[in-house]
Amino acid sequence: MRRILVANRGEIAVRVIRACRDMGIETVAVYSDCDRGARHVRLADEAVHIGGNAPGESYLRVDRIVHAARQTSADGVHPGYGFLAENEEFAAACRDAGLTFIGPTPDAIALMGSKTAARQAAMQAGVPVVPGTEEPLGADVPEVAIAGMAERIGYPVMLKAVAGGGGKGMRLVTAAAELSSATRAARSEAQAAFGDPAIYLERRITRPRHIEIQLLGDRHGTVLPFVERECSIQRRHQKVIEETPSPVIDRELRLRMASDAAAIARSVGYTNAGTIEFLLDEQGHYYFLEMNTRLQVEHPITEMVTGIDLVQWQIRIARGERLAVDAEAAITPRGHAIECRVYAEDADAGFMPSPGRIAALRVPGGPGIRDDSGAEAGGEVPIFYDPLISKLVAWGADRSQAIARMRRALGEYDVVGIKTSIPFFRWMLQQPDFVEARFHTAYLDEVLRTRAGEPFTPAEDERIDMAVMAAAIHQVLGPNPMNPLNPMSPWKAAARAEGLRG
Amino acid sequence: MTVHVDVGGRRRAVDVRRDGDRFLVSFDGRQHEVDVKVINGVWSMLVETVTRPVTGPAKAGPYDRNNARAGSPEDVGAGFSRPTRSYEIAFSPSAEGRLTVHVDGAPVEVSIDQIRRAGAAAAHAAGDGPQRVTAPMPGKIVKLLVKPGDKVQARQGVIVVEAMKMENELRARAAGTVSEVRVAEGTSVEAGAILVVLE
Repeated sequence: MRRILVANRGEIAVRVIRACRDMGIETVAVYSDCDRGARHVRLADEAVHIGGNAPGESYLRVDRIVHAARQTSADGVHPGYGFLAENEEFAAACRDAGLTFIGPTPDAIALMGSKTAARQAAMQAGVPVVPGTEEPLGADVPEVAIAGMAERIGYPVMLKAVAGGGGKGMRLVTAAAELSSATRAARSEAQAAFGDPAIYLERRITRPRHIEIQLLGDRHGTVLPFVERECSIQRRHQKVIEETPSPVIDRELRLRMASDAAAIARSVGYTNAGTIEFLLDEQGHYYFLEMNTRLQVEHPITEMVTGIDLVQWQIRIARGERLAVDAEAAITPRGHAIECRVYAEDADAGFMPSPGRIAALRVPGGPGIRDDSGAEAGGEVPIFYDPLISKLVAWGADRSQAIARMRRALGEYDVVGIKTSIPFFRWMLQQPDFVEARFHTAYLDEVLRTRAGEPFTPAEDERIDMAVMAAAIHQVLGPNPMNPLNPMSPWKAAARAEGLRG
Repeated sequence: MTVHVDVGGRRRAVDVRRDGDRFLVSFDGRQHEVDVKVINGVWSMLVETVTRPVTGPAKAGPYDRNNARAGSPEDVGAGFSRPTRSYEIAFSPSAEGRLTVHVDGAPVEVSIDQIRRAGAAAAHAAGDGPQRVTAPMPGKIVKLLVKPGDKVQARQGVIVVEAMKMENELRARAAGTVSEVRVAEGTSVEAGAILVVLE
């Protein structure tokens, strides 16, 4: 492979371009109208404009991206994550055009992209799944039969509509006595909302932790599992902070989960990078959740503790190389790594997106810090795409050093012109629950509810004094490039006041 | 010059004066000596805080002179500054008339009263008697446009003052006769200094 087209934008496009450059491979960027000046375009060797700002007009256009690859004689395509990364038609279109798709086969994407098929694959590989009923329970299934199933699954159970979504036809049942009325309610809600009363049962895992296993599979039958990542700090099911290793997993559990994850991947002939996600309950039982058939956003923390470049290996696997990685190095973390996803969001306004121009940017550095970013001073964060601007990663010899370094780096990080989630992370990294790793997937949403919008940056007297002082001097200095506020100089203002009196 | 700054619903009257290449900023009963250097749009702000009026020559001392330590670097010689607190400051305009001040990366929302109001108040304080043309902020007299006995029209320029590397012409607010010129070209003046009096 000599030239790779990167079918993405933002920080992940930059990440892939860097891996290519490390390997002496040329790169082709694609871009939409508003990304003409974006960093990935300027870093790449070649760039092709593929359309309008809406993703459907550019980054999701299979035809234009494949055409761009042909035009530039690229021989490989890296999809990054998001956009077309888990679209089997895109993978197939690349293959059919004679391009190497840097990811799994179209069949593997299709199979593991289906929740039910993936669950079947996990069960066949002997991996625990969240206990539940495998067949839909139609209106003809008597309540007494459902009660028997619930007993076998174990309480608490969730009743869910087969045709469901959005919480409709969903009921939590904590004891057998509640089952009958909950079943009737769930069925009638499902009938009303979806025209289908069929439901299924699933064990409710209380306060689970999100644990996932990174995998690499080559085309010669080797599947390599990595040390787990914990991603339990989530806001509305979106990961916010990830770390590796998990503070609650010992080597014995790690090896079991890793071996199960690898078994699932092997059973479907999986190749390239992928991740098996599990829920871990409070008793230490884990259950297969789903598989992501792509590179993950949080892949850098795994790279930090194993020293293995996952993106380079994606490329090497795609060009047919054998996985020449020490299995022990992949599963044994060296130190600890944490990632904060820095979003262009106003954390104090309910994490509302805050697109716009970055007026000034101070990026942290120093020991143990890695900032995978697509942003820069003077650059725009467009309104059309995911507002992730950077992934800040801290590595330490142990968890407490990683936390200390992350706090230091967050303190140095300054993004001027748009709001970011950095103030939230500064607050989060100070919380005793975080420091002591007492969290689960619903933890952050619960905490945010109880805080009820209290600002993340405490009003410290010293900081306010300095802001007052700076604002006053800023005002006195009058109009100049540093003063975006006041077009009128104090001199002119004073002269005008005099004049007006006359 | 007085600027009114609001933070979190609390309004502070902040007096800002120029002292050589530093600013003297007073509010809440404390005075701060502030050194500002602009690097690529971002300010490095070095601050020394004095909580009571300074008497005597401002010489070496720790950054908070009220907590003066032994062994202050008074004897290291001229050209060495006193210890200061170091802050990095950046500004971005926020909602209508507001400003976000980033203090070491942490955002603080402020709003500032238009300077016009302070200027108008100063003019008003001058009273309705003899007309006084005063310096709205510290600066240097570049040119006198009138001499005692001259008749001037309303809004006629009477003096040119330079501050922040900009020349500014101050005007008479009403017609009158120059009775007094209190400054000479080339001299430096403080904010509020009376420059020219008209009757």
